[in-house]
Amino acid sequence: MSESKQRWRLVFARDEEARYLSHLDASHLWERAMRRGRIPVAMSEGFNPRPRLVFAAPLPLGMLAEHELADLFVSRRLTRREMRGCLEAGMPRGFRLIDLRDEWVGAPALATELVAADYRLTVLGADEDRLRPAVEGLLGSESLPRERRREKKVTAYDLRPLLLALRTRRSEAAGLDSGQPAAGIWMRLRHSQRQGSGRPEEVVAALADRLGLTVTAFDPQETEKPEGEEDGGLRPSAGTFDPSIEPDAAGPLEMVRPVRERLWLEGEAPVDATGPEP
Amino acid sequence: MPDRVVLRQTGPEKKRSSVPRETAPGPHHAPPPVSPLAVERVLRHVRKPGRYAGGEWNSAVKDWASIPLKWCLAYPDLYEIGMSNLGLRILYEVLNDRPARLAERCYAPGVDLQARLRADSLPLWSIETRRPLREFDVLGVSLGYELTYTNLLDMLQLGGLALDAAARTDAEPLVIAGGSCVLNPEPVADFVDAVVLGEGEDVVLEIGDVLEGLGWHRRPRGVTSGRGRKSNGPGPLRTAALRALARIPGVYVPSLYRPSYAAGGALAGLEALDPVTPSRVVARIAADFETNVRGIRQLVPNLAIVFDRAQLEVMRGCTRGCRFCQAGMSYRPVRERDPEAAVAAAGAILDATGYEELGLTSLSAADYTYINEVASSLRARWPDVTISLPSTRVDSFTVELIDAAAPGGRRGGFTLAPEAGSQRLRDVINKGVSDEEIERCADLVFGNGWSSLKLYFMIGLPGETMDDVLAIAGICRRALQAGRRHLGAKATVKASISTFVPKVATPFVWAGQDSADEIGAKVAALRKAIHGRGLELRWTDPRVSILEAALGRGDRRLGAVIRKAWQKGTRFDAWDEHFRFDAWQEAFAEEGLDPAWYAQRDIPLDEPLPWGHLSCGVSDGFLASDYERAMRGRTLADCHWGACPECGVAEATGFRCRTGEDGPRRLLASGRDAGPAAGPEPSQRGRHE
Repeated sequence: MSESKQRWRLVFARDEEARYLSHLDASHLWERAMRRGRIPVAMSEGFNPRPRLVFAAPLPLGMLAEHELADLFVSRRLTRREMRGCLEAGMPRGFRLIDLRDEWVGAPALATELVAADYRLTVLGADEDRLRPAVEGLLGSESLPRERRREKKVTAYDLRPLLLALRTRRSEAAGLDSGQPAAGIWMRLRHSQRQGSGRPEEVVAALADRLGLTVTAFDPQETEKPEGEEDGGLRPSAGTFDPSIEPDAAGPLEMVRPVRERLWLEGEAPVDATGPEP
Repeated sequence: MPDRVVLRQTGPEKKRSSVPRETAPGPHHAPPPVSPLAVERVLRHVRKPGRYAGGEWNSAVKDWASIPLKWCLAYPDLYEIGMSNLGLRILYEVLNDRPARLAERCYAPGVDLQARLRADSLPLWSIETRRPLREFDVLGVSLGYELTYTNLLDMLQLGGLALDAAARTDAEPLVIAGGSCVLNPEPVADFVDAVVLGEGEDVVLEIGDVLEGLGWHRRPRGVTSGRGRKSNGPGPLRTAALRALARIPGVYVPSLYRPSYAAGGALAGLEALDPVTPSRVVARIAADFETNVRGIRQLVPNLAIVFDRAQLEVMRGCTRGCRFCQAGMSYRPVRERDPEAAVAAAGAILDATGYEELGLTSLSAADYTYINEVASSLRARWPDVTISLPSTRVDSFTVELIDAAAPGGRRGGFTLAPEAGSQRLRDVINKGVSDEEIERCADLVFGNGWSSLKLYFMIGLPGETMDDVLAIAGICRRALQAGRRHLGAKATVKASISTFVPKVATPFVWAGQDSADEIGAKVAALRKAIHGRGLELRWTDPRVSILEAALGRGDRRLGAVIRKAWQKGTRFDAWDEHFRFDAWQEAFAEEGLDPAWYAQRDIPLDEPLPWGHLSCGVSDGFLASDYERAMRGRTLADCHWGACPECGVAEATGFRCRTGEDGPRRLLASGRDAGPAAGPEPSQRGRHE
């Protein structure tokens, strides 16, 4: 293990070119980026040392991002200018460095500091007028019981306390040329190791339930046997997902271009529905 | 309009280069990409969507409007296989280094994406800018394995091209194939417009110059023939392009020749339909291999691939002369990389990719004269980079070399390829390794900490008897004994058995393959002989080998068979879960042809061969005489130090073999019994990965 002399907090965005990477693949890309930039990365302890680049929250496959966080530990002190140069020399395609901060090495782990995440997405199949009552319905509910499925295990949970804010917006779908009714949705979800994390496709599925529609979202199907690592794709809950292989018809509510706008750390964000909306 | 070629974010070199423009920017063909919404709608339903999304480090995203001639390099297998191909990495760089050229990529879509594309009526797109394949000027297809032919048909159809080259209009790209399969391209002659024999580094640029000179990129883009539209067939520009391609050395245009067949089914003759056609097409050899390393800014994949490492080719060709090995014959002349150029290139590749592993590749890396110098120099300069040597040569030098390459690292399996069980049969195939050397290697492997030894063998080799087959079991047992001495019950020996496939451009091309029953009996005997603790046996499906042989030695009539099989739904034939031999048998039967006739027949030496007008450089006379030598059980010395066997490559191609002078000395110093008379062991057969 090499000792960590400095801890850099990276703020970065993920664009279309890097959108379809799983978290594991993206981590591997960053390791090669650090080699290209000759960054003196500190290594973790253990039998199989890994570079100490720690992401705040895995970014699901298919999701774009505008304000992601990661901590990079280095074994030699660098100036901010040096660090930026190193990073930009080898930055993986589709990732953009937005900000860089010198953090205290002993600060708590990034993931434990997370409290919330903002998402923006477009839904096709319903316009703003049709969605608004469903949004109000969700926000007015005491609880929103849903099921979350991982492998074969199904866990019941309540989505409502994870839903901090939800709004419809004018559609961003103009450029999508789909010809379908469309609306924009913005939401703030709790994202916390202690209190749980909400997922945007679950909120869309809950909206679809209210409207009596099925939902189509990112869900890599397994038409070929997995060779090991599972894709980290977004998975709608079992209750509402229609597994038909037919082309996406006009019937279901379709979720497209999900963007994680921002991750919020403890003390940064007012964790309620009145938070700032960019 | 941009005033220079936009090459977004490649490796560090690109940033400081300001390449002069060769062609004035102009309103060149730049159709819209497939929309991001359409892409999202199909990719959210498929496995590993990263395969189709692009954005790899060192991938070239260029501005279409400013570039006249656009290539799409298509590889008819999955991303994980195609991205591992060094040839493709090299051609991609060679083409994209030219400001007036553009090369994008496309790999075979998985069956899930194929279904989605058809359901949504979407065209197959190129990875970089997501444009339909039919919008390109040239579709460069890499054919390295016969069992990818049906995938090629899927890619053509999904890309919006007519399957039949004869039906393609001027609007569609020219389909130009390369790779080891095109040494006999006759089975795919219906589907390709042209093929390139041999090494592509120089000829892809010549092809581009010829096509740009003709104005191929300015052709009218009217109605194409793809997806059920009416076809008008080739227009005047396409016809002119094909004739111009046929005049480039190394380029073969199948439609300018017409074969005829004798009553028994054999080729009767080949009629040239155009005065421009050469009577014989000889493979191209890239100039200055020794010092000019191409493929520096290698593509770095976005997801794990089969060979997930940077690759530096240290040697091209092989001196050993194994008689079954197509690569060993067809990659001649043998050339070795200048050691200083190799080390410099290795540094540049590692800097440009960020890879943590570098493979020193060649058919037999241990034969590279400067392997010790280069490997140790690389280890000293990049201590944290793993240097790997993919080689299965059987001698103690190789074992020591690989041992040194992974000091103290994790020791998994070690692979050696004796290829045949008995000394007699190893002489027939010209694999001169002795039983003693195999045992010595096994001893060394287990003694140096590897716990598992994998041994590759072939069955069904020409002249093979059941005794030869059973000798495989003897070798495995003796290797296991060596393992037990060092490791006790922990040692394992895995025998991997494949079926001999006669390959064009080898001395064994005339030899018939065993029938499925004969292979079945040999496998059954081995299953009986190789079992018990520490011994494992794996064998390949002999039906796969039959199809490989039939397609490999096939003639132009197999085009209809391939199409029929594909219509019956065969695809990804190289993948066990998709392989459907029954569909292939039906396709052959419906065309009145028999796969056994193509695969299992001993071809008379005086019979005209369907690929006889094409040459990799090695002469048919040499191949035939070496076949006769094999049948007499006579070996031929490794041409590294034996007398030049006059294989004909120098006369045909104008390039001579050049190997390092201290090669023999090095081998004598390291090998205990290696020497000119003994003739050490060849390496690797034309194995497809």
